Amino acid sequence: MDKYLEMIRIRFLMMLAYRTNYYTGILIYSINIGAYYFLWSAIYGEKDAIEGMSVIQMSTYVAVAWMARAFYFNNIDREMAAEIKEGKVAVELIRPYNYLGMKTMQGLGEGVFRLFFFSVPGMVIVSFIFPLQFSADLTTWLFFAVSILLSFFINTQINLLTGITTFFLFNNTGLIRAKRVVIDLFSGLLIPISFFPNWAQDILKYLPFQGISYVPSMIFTNSFSNNEAIQAIILQGVWVIILVIPIQILWVIAKKQLIIQGG
Amino acid sequence: MFYIRIFFQYVAQYMKTRMQYRADLFVEIFSDLLFQAVNLIFILVVFGHTNLLGGWTRDEIIFIYGFFLVPYALFSSFFNIWDFNERYIVKGELDRILTRPIHSLFQIVLERMELESLFGAVTGIAVMFYAGNSLGLKLSWADPFLFLLFVLGGMLVYGGIFIMIACISFWADARTSIMPMMYNIGNYGRYPVDIYNSVIRFVLTWVLPFAFVGVYPAAFFLGKEEWFLYSFLTPVIGIVFFGISILIWNSGVKRYRGAGN
Amino acid sequence: MKDAITVRNLKKEFKAYSSRSGLKGAFRDLLTRNYKIVPAVNDISFNVKQGEMVGYIGENGAGKSTTIKMLTGILTPTSGGVIVNGMNPHRDREKFVSTIGVVFGQRSQLWWDIAVQESFRLLKKVYKVSDEQYESHMAHVIKTLDIEPLLDKPVRKLSLGQRMRCELAAALIHNPPLLFLDEPTIGLDVLVKLRIREFLKEINKKYNTTILLTTHDLTDIEALCERVVMLDDGKVIYDGALKSLKEKWGEGKEIEFQFLEEVELADLNKITASSEVKWEKDEKKAIFTAVVEDDDELISLLIAKVVAALKIKDINIKETSTEEIIRNIYDRGIS
Repeated sequence: MDKYLEMIRIRFLMMLAYRTNYYTGILIYSINIGAYYFLWSAIYGEKDAIEGMSVIQMSTYVAVAWMARAFYFNNIDREMAAEIKEGKVAVELIRPYNYLGMKTMQGLGEGVFRLFFFSVPGMVIVSFIFPLQFSADLTTWLFFAVSILLSFFINTQINLLTGITTFFLFNNTGLIRAKRVVIDLFSGLLIPISFFPNWAQDILKYLPFQGISYVPSMIFTNSFSNNEAIQAIILQGVWVIILVIPIQILWVIAKKQLIIQGG
Repeated sequence: MFYIRIFFQYVAQYMKTRMQYRADLFVEIFSDLLFQAVNLIFILVVFGHTNLLGGWTRDEIIFIYGFFLVPYALFSSFFNIWDFNERYIVKGELDRILTRPIHSLFQIVLERMELESLFGAVTGIAVMFYAGNSLGLKLSWADPFLFLLFVLGGMLVYGGIFIMIACISFWADARTSIMPMMYNIGNYGRYPVDIYNSVIRFVLTWVLPFAFVGVYPAAFFLGKEEWFLYSFLTPVIGIVFFGISILIWNSGVKRYRGAGN
Repeated sequence: MKDAITVRNLKKEFKAYSSRSGLKGAFRDLLTRNYKIVPAVNDISFNVKQGEMVGYIGENGAGKSTTIKMLTGILTPTSGGVIVNGMNPHRDREKFVSTIGVVFGQRSQLWWDIAVQESFRLLKKVYKVSDEQYESHMAHVIKTLDIEPLLDKPVRKLSLGQRMRCELAAALIHNPPLLFLDEPTIGLDVLVKLRIREFLKEINKKYNTTILLTTHDLTDIEALCERVVMLDDGKVIYDGALKSLKEKWGEGKEIEFQFLEEVELADLNKITASSEVKWEKDEKKAIFTAVVEDDDELISLLIAKVVAALKIKDINIKETSTEEIIRNIYDRGIS
């Protein structure tokens, strides 16, 4: 466990070393959330509520969805692809740790960094400019914390999956890009799932994507009742467990392939 | 003249390489299409809940998006400098570039072009025709020429901004996350700027003039006379921003310290 | 003869950032960062004449690469003057680089995915080389480097030695009067090294091409260069003929003896008592080495004495290698 914690710490330090990131990140993040806020205000126009969400809930949704994204988002699939192509992965495999676990921890280190240095200050600034609504209820915050952690795992697992495909496809930049686009839309980052037409909602219910952004954002804006929130979190947990299966299968096949090809 | 000849040499080379990996090509075009589809879906879903967006109809918004795709396609075909820092500065590839008798930025444009992105322009024009048709827009003889002018202006705006950001690498030895974020901000030019508050509108017009890639020039074809002044500023802003970015680039190259030994 | 390279009081300084340790230090680095100015190249001057082959040597970090990068127009000097082929490399970069060829041993100049000849074709256009020029010049280069069979292979499929030969050919497409080679033989096997050296000698003779060579492998320098410029800590510490470097710093000659009979060091010392000589014994191989001053008279006298007294299996006269000399210089400093 120590070595994984150490990995988080190292990643954290690495991120800190790039200080221009830090200065510009907050500014750009605020612009990002702000622009979506205006878009949604224009969409709401004179309406009080759409799909049961008020405009204030909606702007809070947008802000927190992006904030959560900064936490769960990472490029470990691209990193894996690069490492596999450059043949570094063979070296990684002889090290005394679980490669996928290590990648996950790197992602977590990065995520924690961005949470504290990008999102929270950005959120504070944005909340001065735009009317956002923060819940006073401690359970909401608790649910939210659990939920974004699970978001991180679901998103990271999907990244691991796309990363592993490099073993079979060699050039998978297109796939990685497509995945990112699909996740932005189907996770509810751009539009809450409840805004989709019913038939689309029915399909999305059976996919893991809404566990990435929709669930934590809905919890945060108090758009879910406690019961709904617990159900959604359990569903997130179930997806985390289910996704382990394809990862392990592909990983075992990939390692065999690596041995045959000799890295 | 020499630069045009060299350009076609590189294009020919590029085609040969790309044809070796045809499968990649299809995946890439497919993921581009997917990306465009997602944005259209966003617009469609939003208009499932409202009829007007700040006074603009659904088809007008779709038209703006269609227009945006064209300069954006040109930009992504020729200005793949989002990984400039890692590829050219950290790995020291700029050393090689600088030992060749062609302007360094032009060489990078040539080396990094991704012509398959041009496919996005086709999608964009198709989307514009579809939306223009439902809006009952008429095509006058001058429109294609102005379209070309505005598209080039928009491409130069995008190119200029991204070159300036790439130039940061000459001064700061840090990996920046500005690039990916800038792609996000660039998307806001696709929506009518009058839905934003005045600060953001100002930023999108004069600081990071992404509005000149989408809504301003498209407003001309939509016959929104109150925006005509901005529409015709598109090529001017494009040339100004691109020009400035080249100047910054040139002074950045002087500061280049080489890959760390 | 005109100078190909003139360097006057050339200086290049870098800002070196240092980071504080630990998490707390990292936070402080966010606000202010420690840096100091490090001179990579500190006030150096030298000339290279057209047609010379010069070895540019020094330890890692001595400032070799930085100098080469300033001479090729990649880096701007902090101060001082550089004139190469009559131009200021950085200011007139685009015009200037047409007159030089550059090979970086650790960095490919060729396009990874396309066949070697496609790269050549592209470079031919880039350097505005006419078909006739190309034919007459490159046909010869390709033949001498024996890369004909590699031309239709993509670069990524070539071995290091094959690639290096192609790199060299690529740097010569425009037949530049000046060639910079930065570690051109790094990681290559002996045969490829020999071929490259032969080739360099040939083009130097044929076209009077100036060659500036940096390398860790001093045998390259010995084979090619009459003159060496030696760098330490950003300063030129030696500039002159390789031969006089040897004479000045060579620690005499070593003569190795192997005997047919059992010999003790004491015996040898007795035999040669009248000469200035130091004997060493390699216990394992039973080789005895006499270290003497590099003086023909002295050496033949010594050998005569030993041969007269003992039965000999083998004699070998060795010069101190350049590598040893240079190591000595770096160890002791120049004085």
